[in-house]
Amino acid sequence: MNLFAKAESGAPKTQAELLFEAQQRKERHFRANVALTWGVLLLLLVFLFSGPINVDTNFIKENMLFIAGGVGETIRISILSIILATFLALLAALGRLSTFPPIYALSTFYVSLIRGTPLYLQIMFFFLALPQLDIRLPGLWAGVIALGLNYGAYMSEIFRAGLASVGKGQREAAAALGMTPGQTMKRVILPQAMRFAIPPTGNEFIAMTKDSALVSATGFVHELTWRAVKVGRAQFHNLEALIMAAIFYWVMTIILSYVQGVIETRLSKGDR
Amino acid sequence: MTSSIVKISNLDKYFGRLHVLKNVSLEVPERQVVCLIGRSGSGKSTLLRCLNFLEEPSHGTIEVDGVRVEGGEKGSRHRQLVHDVRLKTGMVFQEFNLFPHMTVLENVIEGPVIVKGMDRKKAIELGEQNLDSVGMLFKKDEYPMRLSGGQKQRVAIARALTMEPRVMLFDEPTSALDPELIGEVLNVMKKVALEGMTMIVVTHEMGFAREVADRVIVMAEGELIEDATPDDLFKNPKDPRTKALIDRYRSGEN
Repeated sequence: MNLFAKAESGAPKTQAELLFEAQQRKERHFRANVALTWGVLLLLLVFLFSGPINVDTNFIKENMLFIAGGVGETIRISILSIILATFLALLAALGRLSTFPPIYALSTFYVSLIRGTPLYLQIMFFFLALPQLDIRLPGLWAGVIALGLNYGAYMSEIFRAGLASVGKGQREAAAALGMTPGQTMKRVILPQAMRFAIPPTGNEFIAMTKDSALVSATGFVHELTWRAVKVGRAQFHNLEALIMAAIFYWVMTIILSYVQGVIETRLSKGDR
Repeated sequence: MTSSIVKISNLDKYFGRLHVLKNVSLEVPERQVVCLIGRSGSGKSTLLRCLNFLEEPSHGTIEVDGVRVEGGEKGSRHRQLVHDVRLKTGMVFQEFNLFPHMTVLENVIEGPVIVKGMDRKKAIELGEQNLDSVGMLFKKDEYPMRLSGGQKQRVAIARALTMEPRVMLFDEPTSALDPELIGEVLNVMKKVALEGMTMIVVTHEMGFAREVADRVIVMAEGELIEDATPDDLFKNPKDPRTKALIDRYRSGEN
């Protein structure tokens, strides 16, 4: 932005500088107004629930700890699932690059089947349908396997794009040095593809924390949504209970987005 | 007469139905610097890339420093021979193709350490020596994105040299560079040539061909149409296509 830096201090500003400053003022003004409106909307929500909409503060106080106790379980499901998903996505993405038809077919078949069916159904399938085949999975594992399989299919597209982002010149340079295809993948392609794939993988992780709520449908995993529904129904305070769970999810995703932003800026520093 | 370190016999290359190399044969003696010139699409880059099997020849034989490979074959024996040829050749690309996630020094020692299993300390010593000789040692800990095009190409030359090849292949090494950066790369190449390296250079730099090459080969439509010393070639080109090429260079020179 110093393209138009003054040659000497005290010289009158050039037209480009003036335009640039005006542009910056405009942006600052815009951001300030956005922040202000956010504040107003938040206050409005707080006001709504402090008077016009009657919430039972006693209920909130009494059940706060119980619902908050689900945060750990939600995080546990998300982390286990994202690990499984990353592993499957990498395999599926490499499969898509294969020139061996059965491997390519296996990869596209998996992605098509999983993306073509609802996540809710997949979770229930692992929990309710497998026992018929004498395979009994605890609710947590049914949820993690379903979420992992599901997100793995979507994330394979991200990984595939990451692998494709590494130019053909890189493979040729590695080959000319005498590297084997395995060495080329490990030393040259994957490190570059990962750098490309990490930010969108963060997005998937945030989405997954929210989709982990579906695992509550098994009735045996005591994560955030399960706990909110349980106490809400029992005492007919669904409004309070669900709002509390919503706030926990919201705060969690805001924190995760922030962390992701930090990782992203750090990664982009080493960029080409 | 010194024996040939590179022997190409009856090489054919097809891209689908396009016949890009037509029964090409060529021998290059050790320590010779050969420039391959010709219009784009004449097959000169393809010929160079067939030498280290970045392009698999359709038919014909390539022999580099005693390793003889038949083109168009498959299987593990063939792969092993290709690997052996690649260890004997170093390549420099038009687009540099440095590894962006590694520092300059890491780029240079990657091949020796990973492919040849060289001791890391020894590779660093050798790498630093080569970086020094291309004048890039002072940037050894930088990442490639912080370098100019000319600097990148000098690092790429050091990377190829650190594999200790018997033959260096250059594929239009200055074509992607800003005009003011071409000189530094050509100077490094000249230095490599003076140290006795066998070099095959695909180039549009007629000045370099004239000054450094022992031999200039002109290609057109997948064939070698002229093969002479630079003096002979520039003074009395025989083929009208060579003449046209040289005239165009002369008119650009003024």
